[in-house]
Amino acid sequence: MNAAAKIDDAPFGGPDGPMQGLKVLDLAWVVAGPMIGRNLADFGATVIRVESSKRIETARNMGPFYGAVQDPQKSSLFGNCNASKFGLTLDLAQEQGRDVVRDLVKWADVVVESFAPGQMKRWGLGYDALREINPGLIMLSTSLMGQSGPWMALAGFGNIGAAMAGYQGLVGPLDGLPIGPYGPYTDYVGPRFGLAALLSALDWRRRSGEGCWLDIAQAEAGMQMLAPAIADYAATGRVAKAEANRDPQMAPHGVFPSLTPEGEDPRFVAIAVRSDAEWKALAGVIDGAGGGTLAADPAYATLEGRKEAEDALELRIAEWTAGRSPEHAEAALQAVGVPAYVVATAKDLMHDAQIAEQGHFVTVPGYDWEVIVEKCKMDLSDTPARVARPAPTFGRDRDMVLSGILGYDAAKIEALDAAGALS
Amino acid sequence: MTDEAPARTGFLSPYRVLDLSDHRGLIAGRMFAQLGADVVQVEPPQGSNGRKVGPFDDRGRSLHWEAYAAGKRSLVLDPADPGDRETLLALVAKADFVFESRGPNEPSRLTPDEIAAANPATIHMIATPFGMTGPKADYAESDLVLWASGGPLAPTAMMGGTPTRISVPQAWTHASADAVGGGLVAHFARLKSGKGQLVSTSAQRSATQSTLSGSLANVVGQPDFSLRPRYTGSKKPLDLSGSGARTQRSKWQGKDGLLEIHLAIGPATGRFTNNFMKLMIDRGALSEEFHAWDWGTIHHRIMADEVSDEDMERVREEVGAFLLTLGHEEAVKEAIARKLLLAPVATVKDLVESPHEAARGFFDVVAGSDGAPVTLPGPFALTAAPGFMRGVGAPAIGAHSEAVLTEWLGSAALAASKTPSMEGAAR
Repeated sequence: MNAAAKIDDAPFGGPDGPMQGLKVLDLAWVVAGPMIGRNLADFGATVIRVESSKRIETARNMGPFYGAVQDPQKSSLFGNCNASKFGLTLDLAQEQGRDVVRDLVKWADVVVESFAPGQMKRWGLGYDALREINPGLIMLSTSLMGQSGPWMALAGFGNIGAAMAGYQGLVGPLDGLPIGPYGPYTDYVGPRFGLAALLSALDWRRRSGEGCWLDIAQAEAGMQMLAPAIADYAATGRVAKAEANRDPQMAPHGVFPSLTPEGEDPRFVAIAVRSDAEWKALAGVIDGAGGGTLAADPAYATLEGRKEAEDALELRIAEWTAGRSPEHAEAALQAVGVPAYVVATAKDLMHDAQIAEQGHFVTVPGYDWEVIVEKCKMDLSDTPARVARPAPTFGRDRDMVLSGILGYDAAKIEALDAAGALS
Repeated sequence: MTDEAPARTGFLSPYRVLDLSDHRGLIAGRMFAQLGADVVQVEPPQGSNGRKVGPFDDRGRSLHWEAYAAGKRSLVLDPADPGDRETLLALVAKADFVFESRGPNEPSRLTPDEIAAANPATIHMIATPFGMTGPKADYAESDLVLWASGGPLAPTAMMGGTPTRISVPQAWTHASADAVGGGLVAHFARLKSGKGQLVSTSAQRSATQSTLSGSLANVVGQPDFSLRPRYTGSKKPLDLSGSGARTQRSKWQGKDGLLEIHLAIGPATGRFTNNFMKLMIDRGALSEEFHAWDWGTIHHRIMADEVSDEDMERVREEVGAFLLTLGHEEAVKEAIARKLLLAPVATVKDLVESPHEAARGFFDVVAGSDGAPVTLPGPFALTAAPGFMRGVGAPAIGAHSEAVLTEWLGSAALAASKTPSMEGAAR
């Protein structure tokens, strides 16, 4: 069978979305890999997420949990990354489990995997082996450092990726140790580039009839979004570092403590002044509240002047924000065209009018507990994303996948189960 | 879709992208260009405001522009000139994708309806700050404010007390990259229907992805799972996830720069800390009393008050003293050999000089907008397939005006156009 013969060049798409008909075997875990499949599944692709019910994947053990119940079936992180997919539990340590994978590879257009580089090959499931089974296959491997190079074996979660991509030193105070961004930052960046590469490769396959292997290194995906700083170092020798919340081209520019009810965690408002006019507007609001003369002071009329006095100006703003809620500060400043927003916590997001209007939180029926996930980040006017089903629980779709898709009979399924291959 | 374009390399080489973005969304067209599409950045006569965003090099070049406009061609069209407006509509008619970065009601060269009327098959992507509609859709915005609005800013207070952004702006890049993904999905819809559509993203909503789904905590009924630390209470909740997202301390001074390691506890990843302690034992750097600690189960002893905060602090002190002796390259070597959750906190200098990236041939040195070299990240996927275009830098203002008009519209259009070239830029 040649590659062109394998590929059905009828375009994807149908009533369930533009990617309907695309068949994806999703062997990825945690966040960076699974988010790619989530996006495809939301647009109608058939995505089968394979996992082990014995070695439970990290995301299932992480919160937040639906109803605050610490249960691997109820992780909303797992739920968010795997909504709209079908699921199958397989023991890949067993040859019989790997045989099921091979059958799924014959069926699939795309395989996404995020094991440590080399693991798939050790299982006999490397790209060369899978291409033998399915010449038109597109395989996407996502890892911290990529599938080649002296540091390819460096393992870890996305905080290690964030360190290797250059982000951990870019968040923090002006002096002292940096703190780094929240969590595994390259897990958030990587899927964006993975999705773009994968969809583009699919279009190329449609025209060329050829499959390929895509090696996504989270560190290299992360570096795409540091490109100006990388170019800056190479050109000038300057090494980007944490700048607190300062910005070289905007001032004032910061995060300010706000009125916080007794006993609650401190609340903040973020404020950025992009122009001299916005400074006048901000200063006018503060003057109006306290009878000051900031707006009229020529020393602060220019960015240069405000940069020089930035510490003092931040104190003046902090005096003003300290006496009001962040919502009040946001509204007062936005009313005069100054960028400002509550530094939103999960609680703030729950009550955010804009987030609500955008339909960001989606309730998904299907279980006897309430499942809520985030809506797809891409709004398509004519063929919108939809959440087809909640993320799989262990075993939910076993019959649909093994019998419905692979055509296994009951005896075969029973034998696999008895051997422990379906765990 | 386009027959006349010259041979290009890359998965998207047959396609034309009309890039109407300003300084905020340049990376979307950059991604299309990396994938081989013919991306034409439309600039006003004075040049894109993306050319005015720092950092700047000694030649006065904006490295924001040099990085995020690389691989594109530049066409100058004057928004105030009716003839140029006609030219723009003619280009829209030939474009497979049109991209903008702006608030829904900010001034724009063309409205979504005008774009759709000029070319019903084109895919019109807009990265917006807060969405196309809604009570805050027209809010004033900036990177910091958008990052605050979507959730990833708040939890950094857990470590430093003050929510702190990434010093290289990120909010618009996420929304722009999402618009690329959405545009490509819409492309598959078009293959079936022949029709284009509007694809929009919200930087606020895109930013929620950088919270590790912590954004969901309250709506799913676990408000205690705060994006922020517990400031009150005697015992901080322990992080057993192993992700390193919520642990006490992860940055340490090493021999030649900072190191990233968190002393993970619990069943998921405590074994990695055991591996690290074994390294310290082998180097004679860990006191005897801590040798037998099992970090996979130590949380039980912490909860039972058998291990105190003071004990933990003493371990951290010994770890800190040991890490002062460890260099970046050695750290990576030990991390690989012993399976440690340890890494250098790489600076941009470390990245550019990385032996790993050199072996992968990752970085490109290209001729920038004035011909002088610029170092850029290479493809975001390595593949043996002809997937990516490399080696092309950012354009000078209007450098390709004539070529674009000729190739996209034919030579008659060039003759009719009034401001196609560098002369236009100099007015």
